[in-house]
Amino acid sequence: MSVEVEVDENDLAEMVEQVWEAYLDPEGVSPLMQTYDENQPSEVHSSVSITGSWSGHIVYSSSRAAAQRAAAAFLAMELEEVSEEDISDTLGELANIVGGNVKAMLPPGAQLSLPQVVLAPESSARYPNTERISGVYGLWEGEPVSISMWQSSTDTKEEGA
Amino acid sequence: MTPMRAMVIDDSRAMRMILKRIVTKLSFEAVEAGDGKEALDLLADMTEVPELALIDWNMPNMNGLEFVMKVRAEPRLREMTLVMVTTESEQSQIVRALAAGAHEYVIKPFTEGAMIEKLALLGLVPTGANS
Repeated sequence: MSVEVEVDENDLAEMVEQVWEAYLDPEGVSPLMQTYDENQPSEVHSSVSITGSWSGHIVYSSSRAAAQRAAAAFLAMELEEVSEEDISDTLGELANIVGGNVKAMLPPGAQLSLPQVVLAPESSARYPNTERISGVYGLWEGEPVSISMWQSSTDTKEEGA
Repeated sequence: MTPMRAMVIDDSRAMRMILKRIVTKLSFEAVEAGDGKEALDLLADMTEVPELALIDWNMPNMNGLEFVMKVRAEPRLREMTLVMVTTESEQSQIVRALAAGAHEYVIKPFTEGAMIEKLALLGLVPTGANS
């Protein structure tokens, strides 16, 4: 099925702002500062897949330090208390929240997968036949964080057909 | 006085921790479950039914909507206040959940203040508990 995706960088940025306000920076003192650098490094990432009226993936990636800080903020812990499981759970939930909000902007009939977390760089991920269509890239307290949206090329081809 | 009890049902441990922190702050005793089925199993063993359940939608084994329908079909659980806490924010999904018997709907991401306001609207915490 072919759909025109109307989720752009501004929409993603707004979602990111809401996530920061709710969980990562409720005091509003350390927002994600956008760098617009699509090639910034990452060490860990999480994703959710969307199928149905649109097919693709929403990927949250960051440095390990940013992931640890996110888990500490999310779970109200001290940085040194954060475990691998805490990081994994937090990354999964962040992808789930952003993915769920993206899904809400898509035409009816889209389904969201459960999140997947990989404690390895995003470049190691295998999303065959996808194309990046949108993304927010920035630094959070000096550490890279990005949220990107990848469309399955089958959708792209259909759109062009 | 016996404290009120809240069941937090979410497959994300991180989200359970956030919700548990909020309800504990509001003097609820929190019980956790990782999916709808686990929640129903726990409820079957309880002599006193929790006053509140905060329920994710997308979970393995049994999703939140199925859980709401099961609870509504069980007379013993009739008094539970059911709040969906989910990323499912399409209007049609909200309508489905409310039609199935959920009392309120909170969309992730939510702030602690927003959650407390919803619970206050449901009469489960004193108005102004957020201030």
